[in-house]
Amino acid sequence: MVNLDDIKKEAHRILKEKKVKYIIGYTQGANGFPAVPVFIKNPEDADNLVWNPACIHNLTRFLRDEKKRRAREKHPDNRPVGIIVKGCDSRAINVLLQEKYIAREDVFVLGVSCEDTGVVDEKKLAKKLKGKKALCFDWDENRNLVVTTEDGKSTINADEVLAERCLECPAQSPVVYDILFGDKVKLSPEDRFKSVEKIENLSQKERWAFWKEQFDKCIRCYACRSVCPMCYCDECVVDTISFAVTADTTAEEKAQKIKWIDKSPVTSETYIYHMIRAIHLAGRCIDCGECERVCPLDIPIRFLNKKLEKEAKKLFDYEVGFDPDQLSLVSSFRDEDPEDFIR
Amino acid sequence: MQKILTKKSFPKWVANLATYQIYAPVEKDDLWSYEIVTADEITTDYPNTVLSPKKITFPQREFFLEFSQNDDGIPGVTELLPEEKESVIFGVRPCDAKGVSHMDKVFGGDFEDAYYWKRRNQVTLVGLSCNTPPSPNCFCTSVDGSPHSTDGLDVLLTDIGDRFFVQTFTKKGDRIINASKGLFTAPKPKDKTDVEKVHKDAVKAMPRSLKDTKKIPPKLKDLFEANLWDEEAMSCIQCGICTYLCPTCHCFDINDEITSHSPLEGKRVRTWDNCQFPDFTMHSSGHNPRPDKASRLRQRIMHKFQYFVEKYKNFQCIGCGRCISKCPVGIDIIQVLEKVRDHV
Amino acid sequence: MSDNAYIPKLSKIIEIKEEAGGGRPIKTFRTQFVDDNGFTHKCGQCAMLSVFGKGESMISISSTPIVKDYLQFSILKTGRVTTALHEMQEGDVIGVRGPYGNNFPIEKWKGKNLIFIGGGIGLAPIWSVLQTALRKKSDYGKLSLIYGARTSPDIIYKEELEELKKEMTVHLSIDHEEEGWKEYVGFVPLNVLDKKPSPKNAVAITCGPPIMIKFVIQNLEALGFKDEQIYTTVENKMKCGIGKCGRCNIGMHYVCKDGPVYSWAELKKLPQEY
Repeated sequence: MVNLDDIKKEAHRILKEKKVKYIIGYTQGANGFPAVPVFIKNPEDADNLVWNPACIHNLTRFLRDEKKRRAREKHPDNRPVGIIVKGCDSRAINVLLQEKYIAREDVFVLGVSCEDTGVVDEKKLAKKLKGKKALCFDWDENRNLVVTTEDGKSTINADEVLAERCLECPAQSPVVYDILFGDKVKLSPEDRFKSVEKIENLSQKERWAFWKEQFDKCIRCYACRSVCPMCYCDECVVDTISFAVTADTTAEEKAQKIKWIDKSPVTSETYIYHMIRAIHLAGRCIDCGECERVCPLDIPIRFLNKKLEKEAKKLFDYEVGFDPDQLSLVSSFRDEDPEDFIR
Repeated sequence: MQKILTKKSFPKWVANLATYQIYAPVEKDDLWSYEIVTADEITTDYPNTVLSPKKITFPQREFFLEFSQNDDGIPGVTELLPEEKESVIFGVRPCDAKGVSHMDKVFGGDFEDAYYWKRRNQVTLVGLSCNTPPSPNCFCTSVDGSPHSTDGLDVLLTDIGDRFFVQTFTKKGDRIINASKGLFTAPKPKDKTDVEKVHKDAVKAMPRSLKDTKKIPPKLKDLFEANLWDEEAMSCIQCGICTYLCPTCHCFDINDEITSHSPLEGKRVRTWDNCQFPDFTMHSSGHNPRPDKASRLRQRIMHKFQYFVEKYKNFQCIGCGRCISKCPVGIDIIQVLEKVRDHV
Repeated sequence: MSDNAYIPKLSKIIEIKEEAGGGRPIKTFRTQFVDDNGFTHKCGQCAMLSVFGKGESMISISSTPIVKDYLQFSILKTGRVTTALHEMQEGDVIGVRGPYGNNFPIEKWKGKNLIFIGGGIGLAPIWSVLQTALRKKSDYGKLSLIYGARTSPDIIYKEELEELKKEMTVHLSIDHEEEGWKEYVGFVPLNVLDKKPSPKNAVAITCGPPIMIKFVIQNLEALGFKDEQIYTTVENKMKCGIGKCGRCNIGMHYVCKDGPVYSWAELKKLPQEY
């Protein structure tokens, strides 16, 4: 069992001892949101931390901001940042370490195990509650979610409200941590890639039509890109200007930056944006599912990344986020790699 | 004028508007949005749509002009004004209608935006009074709105059981009522008391509120340089959800999209743009007046609650709560403004 | 079509002059409307120049409104649109729409001494006022110019400045020593302190890189200039040019419409976000 008080105590300790600059964790949101990201600087505020099935956000996304902050400061504070991670989130840390985007000493990882449950999909829960507001909820010992609404308590079986990613999770407890809360667990889901089958089984024509309908909804808010811990490029294929511009960048360089993708939210541009983003995340996506959670139009983009994760495993026996020292999928070559696709 | 329309007669009224294109909120895969519908698809029971009806008069993408370049040197430029059928949008929430009214202020003024007005003049807005809050984050009464506000509407319907109380405010509104004169009857005193009760109850049921909003614009001015913005923006991930979903955000981009290089052919296109995107204000030199997310969050809040107030004496925010409901990290504009208001 | 503010009017480039080469090329373009329905402007206003297929760029009109034959734009090559403009030849046709923005209140300055302070390409936005004042010399007091650039090749309007020296006081400067340079060496704000222009019955009009404007204003205040006596023109990224796309704002002002000309007294009151 995860004991919230233990987490608070540790958070309090590392802040008091000034071991970390601040801690990225979860706290209760305004208007009864059960969990939102929070940045805690003072030891006394460690008491505001929460741990509940609504702690769905992947907080490693904020490591990018820390890195940018340090780059801007003249005399940066190089102490590590404390961060609370679940199993999936911790794999993101490994990928960032693998890509040398951060160094191990930049983070103090408070790993929290999901044990045999996980986090709740807000939309699935809302459907179950039929419009009633969830005042609070938590797991019980029997893998049930106990929900309190204005009508009283009810229990829902975990499998009916768990986020899709949790149903296929290969890392229920963090794979990298400085301190671990809860039990180390490694349950192997029966079929990690079951969810993509329903799209794989469509004909090519049906698949094209399916994704066209989904992508035509897209308003190009880039929430999917903004929330992803691995989308940290300064020069993104979808931006018309590069943020890597300095005073020395010549006019020609700026003029020659190709507009690969127009801003217009039309089928061709939107399709290409999502496809390219998925390919750029091949071998890097750890299936935290955040991209799909944040999409305001409910576009099921997680399928794209999941499919590529399946390909990586099938073709190259490549697992993402368990080994911070492994080579990257797309920029390394082994003699035993299958060559069917290169002739 | 004020009239009564029975719910039984409602489909007949809509059917009589066959020459108009009809928009109404419809549901697809659990999400509601304003789409072109047939009379029988119109319902009065829906939560707030993801995108407001702003997208009908101010679509996310529209053409400005077409250009071509021949060898003789002089480019051909053709204006591309939208050709839109006359439309009626049913089921507009009073807050979203107020939003349309705010957009009218922005796109009018010294330079009339020809494209916006070509669409806007073709649209008749039929509102539906909110008997119950369409969102758990509604706070329209805190920003000078109400569940039965008439600002921006041509017609307002209030559901009073088996019938609608119908009010018109403009010639456009009168026109679509008069087209079906026989279906509408004069209201009786009981109708008026029913409407008053429904309106009053709706105001009481407002789920959220922001008190003392009058204090906020001057406080914002004082707090421009405060550290407050760094703290509030810590968890912002710089996506575009709050601004793209907002019924009053009007920022846009203009780009040339080429369909042929030689000979040169293409269109100049307007698309929505977003002050939360890092490149929104970035100069070609790389200089950015709003270089970090704190300054960008500040811009959004100042625009809604101070700049617009100074210019038009109205809060630009209409209290629909979409930004609160959909923010991926739970940034709550009401909470931010409370901190501003109470800041010492 | 004529009242749609977004449609540019076709304008032919009748003359191109290279002002500065090297790493920061500047060219001066003179354009003439293809049809007769062009527009006239006031000092300080800008126009959106269109290169079809590339985009638009807001550039100050640096010619005086008294000259009706052409509009003059001095353009620094810095990105997609300006690079395309620099690649154009005399005779090419571009789009021009405007005039946008407010203007320098030159009517209020009659009888006053005008001190122009420019840095680099910043001379171009205030050139229209200078040229207007020159042609109506009796309306104004003493005219003087304090202008500098990074290096002597970066100085714009070189020939015009030589002519200018015959009619008014001209103080030039470059940032670092150069062989053959006999005038002031140092940054423009320091040259201002060096030449000590008098605030008595004077108006200072300045434009240049933001950092230069900041220090020029500081030094003018040190010399006794009041906030209402200092005028500048600011810039920001612009797309619509008519105060609708929401991006060029400083506080509640849209620089394209409520600016770009501000007195320091007015600019001080706006949020310092530019």
